[in-house]
Amino acid sequence: MLFLTTVSLWLGKPELYPPQKERNLRTTREALLPYECRQAKISYTGKFMADVCFQYDEKAVIREKFNFGQFPIMLQSKLCHLRGLDPKKLISYKEEASEMGGYFVMNGLERVVRLLIAPKRNYPMSMVRNSFSDRREGYTDKAVVIRCVREDQSSVTVKLYYLRNGSARLGFWVQGKEYLLPIGIVLKALIDTTDHEIYASLTSCYSDKQGNGKGAVGTQLVGERAKIILDEVRDLALFDHRQCLEHIGQHFQPVMEGLGKEKFSTIADAVLKDYIFVHLDNNYDKFNLLIFMAQKLFSLIDQTSVPDNPDSLQNQDVLLPGQLITIYLKEKLEDWLQKAKKLLEDEISNSSKNFEFCSLAHVKKVMDKNPSKQISSAVENMLKTGRLVTQTGLDLQQRAGFTVQAERLNFLRFISHFRAVHRGASFAGLRTTTVRKLLPESWGFLCPVHTPDGEPCGLLNHLTSTCRITSYFNSQGKVRDFFKIRMSILSVLIAVGMIPSLPKLVQMGLPDVLNVLLDGRMVGYISSSEVEKIVAHLRRLKVSSSHVIPDDLEVGYVPLSISGAYPGLYLFTSPSRFVRPVKNLSISSEENQNIELIGPFEQVFMEIRCPDGGDGGRKDEFPATHEEIHPTGMLSVVANLTPWSDHNQSPRNMYQCQMAKQTMAFSLQALRYRADQKLYHLQTPQTPIVRTSTYTKYNIDEYPTGTNAIVAVLAYTGYDMEDAMILNKSSVERGMYHGQIYQTETIDLSDQGNRSSRSQKMFRRSNIDTSVRSIIDSDGLPYVGQMIQPDEPYCSIYDEMAGTTRTMKRKGSEAVIVDYVSVDVKNKKHPQKVNIRFRHPRNPVIGDKFSSRHGQKGVCSQLWPDVDMPFCGATGMRPDLIINPHAFPSRMTIAMLMESVAAKGGCLNGEFVNATPFRSSVKKTNVGDEEPNAETLVDELGSTLIKKGFNYHGLEVLYSGVYGTELTCEIFIGPVYYQRLRHMVSDKYQVRSTGTVDQVTRQPIKGRKKGGGIRFGEMERDSMLAHGASYLLHDRLHTCSDHHIADVCSLCGSILTSSFLQPQKRAVREIGGLPPGKAPKRVTCHACRTSKGMETVAMPYVFKYLAAELAAMNIKMTLQLSSGAA
Amino acid sequence: MEGSSYQRFPKVKIRELRDDYAKFELRDTDASMANALRRVMIAEVPTIAIDLVEIEVNSSVLNDEFIAHRLGLIPLTSERAMSMRFSRDCDACDGDGQCEFCSVEFHLRAKCHSDQTLDVTSKDLYSSDHTVVPVDFSDSAAASGEALDTKGIIIVKLRRGQELRLRAIARKGIGKDHAKWSPAATVTFMYEPNIHINEDLMETLTLEEKRTWVESCPTRVFELDPVTHQVMVVDPEAYTYDDEVIKKAEAMGKAGLVDITAKEDSFIFTVESTGAIKASQLILNAIDILKQKLDAVRLSDDTVEADDQFGELGAHMRGG
Repeated sequence: MLFLTTVSLWLGKPELYPPQKERNLRTTREALLPYECRQAKISYTGKFMADVCFQYDEKAVIREKFNFGQFPIMLQSKLCHLRGLDPKKLISYKEEASEMGGYFVMNGLERVVRLLIAPKRNYPMSMVRNSFSDRREGYTDKAVVIRCVREDQSSVTVKLYYLRNGSARLGFWVQGKEYLLPIGIVLKALIDTTDHEIYASLTSCYSDKQGNGKGAVGTQLVGERAKIILDEVRDLALFDHRQCLEHIGQHFQPVMEGLGKEKFSTIADAVLKDYIFVHLDNNYDKFNLLIFMAQKLFSLIDQTSVPDNPDSLQNQDVLLPGQLITIYLKEKLEDWLQKAKKLLEDEISNSSKNFEFCSLAHVKKVMDKNPSKQISSAVENMLKTGRLVTQTGLDLQQRAGFTVQAERLNFLRFISHFRAVHRGASFAGLRTTTVRKLLPESWGFLCPVHTPDGEPCGLLNHLTSTCRITSYFNSQGKVRDFFKIRMSILSVLIAVGMIPSLPKLVQMGLPDVLNVLLDGRMVGYISSSEVEKIVAHLRRLKVSSSHVIPDDLEVGYVPLSISGAYPGLYLFTSPSRFVRPVKNLSISSEENQNIELIGPFEQVFMEIRCPDGGDGGRKDEFPATHEEIHPTGMLSVVANLTPWSDHNQSPRNMYQCQMAKQTMAFSLQALRYRADQKLYHLQTPQTPIVRTSTYTKYNIDEYPTGTNAIVAVLAYTGYDMEDAMILNKSSVERGMYHGQIYQTETIDLSDQGNRSSRSQKMFRRSNIDTSVRSIIDSDGLPYVGQMIQPDEPYCSIYDEMAGTTRTMKRKGSEAVIVDYVSVDVKNKKHPQKVNIRFRHPRNPVIGDKFSSRHGQKGVCSQLWPDVDMPFCGATGMRPDLIINPHAFPSRMTIAMLMESVAAKGGCLNGEFVNATPFRSSVKKTNVGDEEPNAETLVDELGSTLIKKGFNYHGLEVLYSGVYGTELTCEIFIGPVYYQRLRHMVSDKYQVRSTGTVDQVTRQPIKGRKKGGGIRFGEMERDSMLAHGASYLLHDRLHTCSDHHIADVCSLCGSILTSSFLQPQKRAVREIGGLPPGKAPKRVTCHACRTSKGMETVAMPYVFKYLAAELAAMNIKMTLQLSSGAA
Repeated sequence: MEGSSYQRFPKVKIRELRDDYAKFELRDTDASMANALRRVMIAEVPTIAIDLVEIEVNSSVLNDEFIAHRLGLIPLTSERAMSMRFSRDCDACDGDGQCEFCSVEFHLRAKCHSDQTLDVTSKDLYSSDHTVVPVDFSDSAAASGEALDTKGIIIVKLRRGQELRLRAIARKGIGKDHAKWSPAATVTFMYEPNIHINEDLMETLTLEEKRTWVESCPTRVFELDPVTHQVMVVDPEAYTYDDEVIKKAEAMGKAGLVDITAKEDSFIFTVESTGAIKASQLILNAIDILKQKLDAVRLSDDTVEADDQFGELGAHMRGG
């Protein structure tokens, strides 16, 4: 008797626990805190448990808890111990008072998931791409593409290609292969319908009556194409719904995993469900969307609408960390279940063992072969390396570079990691520059200034300070119910006169009615005469407090036009869209309820004016409906910190954004508890006198980045030429720009040496060697506060098995001070892991780099004595820093001059000066509080100086410090906020006279770390030749390089055949007092068997090596020797 | 080679003298002299400052070098400095800088036992020599009427349980070597201006024009007499040689309205001391040192080479 038993397996009730310390004692569970992870170089992870549910036939569900390993927890996320703590509590947890989280701690490193640009979800985009026509014979370069995203954030991209014969193909990827289905088959397979209905639907956008007016997207050809599409299906002998389904099922049977034995129609249903328009559940919706896409495609072909630009922010979304992890986890869990199924099947087929399928214990035993803990470690590895290990590719364009380390070089660099949006690694290698272009669509969302120049220029952008990204969660931190939101929007739309598309009653199309798509679902039609009223109504509802419509709804109304963008009303509620606030002018500003969140898709078709009171050249034709809140909203946080950036030449502001991120600043407040590889720290920073309002808004004063230095602009000694600058020696001695580098060395005994020996190692000082006593304590670790010179030991490790002690030596060329030693306490007796933090004092020296906040960088060329500096007769003021006036004319950093004047006035008045850019572009609402008499900003700054008895232009009469005479002209002098950059000579200088050489060529090696030299290359050689400095050239390229005296046989001309003869042991009588007689080296030619023709020739050793290499290729090189100048 | 004597007899007139501030006129000499005095005051008058710090315990938030640097910058009363030896040429201690002739020892012990932050200040430094102590500013603050509870210069702040214990050696030094040894906060001089108003031309101006002209000077040099409507020079020394009034006069079409020249041989000095030595002493010390420096040059005076070497300057030196 045969019983057919089936078992269903699925996962349920996932649970994630807050991070806890692993302890042997089960009773006490201690919280694992992020700072402990950073110090111990471990990951901040929580236990991930889930139920695996078994169900035999239709019997009761059996739940079994499985441990899926340690899942990474984001800092300040719901499960993080730091969530919701006040600053005081955060400090007690050894964090920054303003710790914001948002990153992961992996192996002690802070990793951030990069924001990535993705094609806009659930929006059919028409595209023209040459690669489309290469798909197969008969394909054109035009298609409509939609990236469909499910509720669980996994996505499937579907493309509708146009064929030259008038038909279309629906393409989607299954297991790394693109499958192309005729559109007719899909339409018929989706719903049971008649040919006539399909024809009517496709041609709904065209009627004979309409001409070529506004919004006429359909042409006569649409009907012809519909016929072709239907004929195509008929030619395949597929007449009805069932036949089409079976056709699809038959084709996809081999690729649909796990459905191999099912009926064709079931397989077809699965294909339609899993690959075609996955954001929709209903086949009628899918049918409508496909019709819409076909119409859009035909309109693109007939050039009644233009293609959408995939590089424009209008058609883009962003991939968020949570989504990436969700889809990755989903795939890993799916794989795991599939593998479990496969293991079970194998076990059943392998009948030799006694395997009881019905026994849960047996099944579980098999399941245990499938390691469940790998799930979490896969996610952890993804975060550690930024690489996805996946078969399907998850509908993402790249496999690597998803995460980066959040460097805490300074606060600005740190926050920039969270505001950076990358276009995608696939574009980095592209030769075309179109993707890098700054497009007007990104106005207000991406900062035009804050992008690096060079390789990632335009690909790595930064969000503006006002830009936000819509979330999956609401403000209370609850998951938003998108279904409810959509239903509520739908009811609003129907109330205002939308004709719902379901049930299908009427066939309507453009230009009489506009299609309404809500998150990629055709929900109905709105009469084109009504639509503008409805849009305005929707916008009002968005900002109203009734919450019928979410405040971040994107109302993408594309108006009717002649051959413009394809019209329609596209509504988006989805997460991961860019949004930014603007004022809605149609709503009174009294209740402050007029701030509307808009997205880049709708922004293109909106009229938003600048708050300068003007109309921006719109006249009365397109009255502004919205207004920017403040012009600085278009700049990123870092770009907003440049004072009066509107007065600078724009590239200078870009340079400043880069340099701000590499300044040595006050790095961290919780510095004591950090074990970062390298931290730069400025000892005595100041807050800038001239500051933008952003400084206060983002509390930059918690992490100041520079010092207000008194800067004189003059050519004084010649040491300030070519962007060099002179620092006042006394100022430096008084502590200006003093700083240090903190560097942590982690020594983990458990991963040292070969694991096989299992030798017990511990930190302990050698009893025999007393020389290290002064540096190393009895515990084998250095004394805190101890200075350690290069090549001195700093810790000693005792190997119990071998009974030997080994010391770790400092590398590098500078003395360091032991700042902090931390020991892990897991093993109470012998600590196995130790962090030793060293402090490198880094006070300014000649060659260090500094910069103002205006992209004016310079290198310190001299520490000039205070008495030699020019001084002001009236005040006795001597500058801290001298720069050359030539730094200004070509660079046009006017704001730096203004900063100097303003800071001077600010100092004299004891006030900060507000240098927010574009202040003159803001309509002065109340004139009273600003200085009304100052006409221009410059006038305002100048008159404050006059009031204090200084020159209007910031000039002062200075006396030469050397001669005591008046300098011939007045000098521009004033305080400017200067930053010290992290590039320091101490890390860069390279000196070598003799040293290690390359094994093969005997030439000096390269690399600063190894004590190598700087290459004296071809161009340098050329310049030597041009000078005729032949002796110098010989010295550099030969004597100091691979000088070699070779023995050459003049008979055969070979340099490889020489061989030494062992000198005969002849008793040479030593003559007292004289050095021992050097026996002449006897060399013979191996080939000629004589030493007659042996000569010595000086040559580069590589030449000999070349001869040897050639010989290996059977090429003989002979030298013809001749003597002297002959 | 015989040259005429350039010997001059500089005069000093003291205008204002306080412990940490001095203002005086220096007349009948030239800029080289004035500037030499200035330079010596800033960079070559010796003071005593902490130079070597041995830290026993430091559990404060600031690191050892930071504290050592801060200690170095604390001004110490340095009346003794002139008579002290530089530790580098001290015979008594072979130049290791640990003897009473060339060094002063300081001790600092501070530990915070309460929940309130403890400020470790220069008052907590205990000196081995009562003549060399951190400069006390409380007196001057009290004198000026400010009832500030000054507790000295803050070195570091300690919270509960933190401790700082150190030994420091102060040595004699000069500002040239390190700014911490500089006794002068500011030393500056200016040429005394000679201001001549062309009264005739001035009378051609209307009252309004006069007012705008007077106001064009950022510092209050001129004033308009409210009664006689005459422009008067009230404070010539407030003039900063910025030429504002001359430019204004030119802009008004009245070039030559005022003639301002600098007296080449008359200087007004302003000296601000850090407190290490009194301003008056600073000036005297500077003159002494300047003399010593010149003596070094004069040593080679007898030799004929000196004349070759210095030319006219040699005669000048012999004379002065």
